[in-house]
Amino acid sequence: MILITAKRSIIFAIQSFWRNIWLSLATIFIIALTFLSINFLVVINAISDSAIAAVKDKIDVSVYFKQDVRETKIAEVKSHIETLLQVEKITYISPDENLRVFTERRKDDTVIQEVLQELSGNPLGATLIVKAKNLNDYSEILKAIDNPAYSDLIEKKGYDDHHSAIDNINTITNNVKRGAWIVTFMFIIIAILIVFNTVRIAIFTHQQEIGIMKLVGASNSFIRSPFILENIFSGVIACGIAISVIYFILSLIQPHLNNFFAGVNVDLVGYFNANFIAIFGSQLVGIILLNIISSSLALGKYLKV
Amino acid sequence: MIHLINISKTFEPNTVALKNINLHIEPGEFVSIVGQSGSGKTTIARLLISEIKPDSSEGKIIVGGWDITNIKSRQVPSLRRQIGVVFQDFKLLPKKTVFENVAFALEVSGATKSRINSIVPQVLKIVDLGDKLDRYPQEMSGGEKQRVAIARALIHRPKILLADEPTGNLDAINSKEIIDLLLKINEFGTTVVLVSHDKDVVNGLKKRVVTIENGEVSQDQKVGKYVI
Ligand SMILES: Nc1ncnc2c1ncn2[C@@H]1O[C@H](COP(=O)(O)OP(=O)(O)OP(=O)(O)O)[C@@H](O)[C@H]1O
Ligand SMILES: [Mg+2]
Repeated sequence: MILITAKRSIIFAIQSFWRNIWLSLATIFIIALTFLSINFLVVINAISDSAIAAVKDKIDVSVYFKQDVRETKIAEVKSHIETLLQVEKITYISPDENLRVFTERRKDDTVIQEVLQELSGNPLGATLIVKAKNLNDYSEILKAIDNPAYSDLIEKKGYDDHHSAIDNINTITNNVKRGAWIVTFMFIIIAILIVFNTVRIAIFTHQQEIGIMKLVGASNSFIRSPFILENIFSGVIACGIAISVIYFILSLIQPHLNNFFAGVNVDLVGYFNANFIAIFGSQLVGIILLNIISSSLALGKYLKV
Repeated sequence: MIHLINISKTFEPNTVALKNINLHIEPGEFVSIVGQSGSGKTTIARLLISEIKPDSSEGKIIVGGWDITNIKSRQVPSLRRQIGVVFQDFKLLPKKTVFENVAFALEVSGATKSRINSIVPQVLKIVDLGDKLDRYPQEMSGGEKQRVAIARALIHRPKILLADEPTGNLDAINSKEIIDLLLKINEFGTTVVLVSHDKDVVNGLKKRVVTIENGEVSQDQKVGKYVI
C-alpha cells in the first residue's frame, strides 16, 4: 500500500513535471541560478580565505637577541613565551644559522663579504620567530616580550612594521566576510520566495485536480507528495546543472588563479572536490526542506477544503 | 444513515445559510432536497462531506453511525470514500480518459493496478459506458460526462451517493437517464440524496421530498411534490 502510493506519487510527479514542462524548466533555471549565486560566494570565500591565510602565514614576530646572550637564557625566554595561550609556534634560529643565511643572501655583495671575513667571530645573535594563533593575538605576545627582564637580552623586535598591515587585513577581511554574508542572505531570501511561488503556481495550475482528489478521498500527504517530489526533481536537476557549470567555469579560471596572487596558490577545483558533499549536499538538503515547507504552507493556504 | 441534529451554519460575517436543521435519512432511502436558489441546499451537501463545519453549538452531524461534527482533517479522506458525490459541473479532468478519470479515485486510495483494472470497467458498465473507456471528456455529451462522474462516485462502493443538481446542465432526455441511473443505484441499496431545482425531475420520482426555505426545513413529505 505504501509502496503503491509512493510509486503513484512519483508517476504523478513525473506527469506533472512534463505537463508543465515550461514551468518546470523555469523553476530549474531559477534554482540553478540560485545555486550558482551561492556557489559564487563559496568561491569568493575560498579565494579570500586562502589569500588571507597566505598573508597571515607571512606575519610573525622576530625577536633578535644580542650576540652575547647565552643559549640557555634564550631557551628560558622561549619557554616563557611558549606558555602564552596565543602562541601557535616558536622557531629558534641559532646565530650560526643566521650567519649562514645572511652570508648566502649577500653573497654578491663584496663589501659585506669582506667585512665578514675580517670579523673574527659571528656578529649575529640568535633569533626566535613567534607565530600567533590569531592576528589579534600579536599585541599580547609583544606585551609579554616587552618584559623589562628581557630588555637587556633583546637587540630588537621585528614586528612594528606589520602592525598597520595586519590592521588593514583585519578590516578588509571582516568587511569582505560581512558583505558576503549579506549577499548570501539576500540570495537565500530570493530562493525562498522563488521556490514558494513556484510551488504556489504548480498548485494553482493543479487546483482542479487537487479539488477532485480531495473529493474522492485522497489524503493530504498523497496530494502533497507529488508536488514535493516534482520540486525535488527540479532541485536535483538544477543542482546537476549548477555543478556542471561551476566545474566548467572553475576549469576556465583555475589557470589564472595560480598567478593571480604572488606566491599564493588557490586550488578552487581541489577545494570543491574536497568539500563536494558538504557544499552541494547542504544546498540540496536546503532546497528539499524549502520545498517541503513551501508546499505545506501553500497547500494549507490555498486548498482549505 | 444520515442525521442532522440542530445544525446551523453561518457564513461570516452574517449570512445565516442554515438554521436549526433536523433531518434524518434512513439507510436505503432516496431523498430529494429542494428549495429556491440560496435556500441552503448545497450548504447541507458540503456539511455532509465535511467541506465546511457547522456552527459550534449543540448540533450534531452523524453519517453512517459516525459523528463527523468535529471530524479531524486526517479522517476526512476516509469519510469522503464513504460518500460518493456528484455535481452539476461534473468535475472531470479534461486531460484524462474516462477510464483514467474513474481510476483516479482508486489510485489516490492506494488500490493495486490489478484491482483498478478489474473494478473500473465493471463500474463503467453499470453506468452504460463500458464501450467508451478511452474517450476524453470533451468527446462526450453532458449526460455521458455525468455518468462518468457517477461511476467515479461509486468506485469506493459508498453507502451514500450525494448528487448536487446533477441534471442542472442537462436537457430533459439526458436528465431522465441520469435520474434513472440514480434510481437503479438506489435499488442496489445505496442511500441517495438528490439536491435539485428541477420540478419535473422531483415530481416524477414519487419519493421523499424535503423542502428547504431560508435555511430551514419547511416541508418533509414521504411521497413528495416540489411545491414552491
Ligand atoms: N462561502 C460562502 N460565504 C458566504 N456565504 C455563502 C457561502 N456559501 C454559501 N453562502 C450563502 O449561503 C446561502 C445558501 O447557499 P447555498 O449554496 O447552500 O444555496 P443553494 O440552496 O445551494 O442555492 P442554489 O440552488 O442556487 O445552488 C446563500 O445565501 C449563499 O449566498
Ligand atoms: Mg447549490
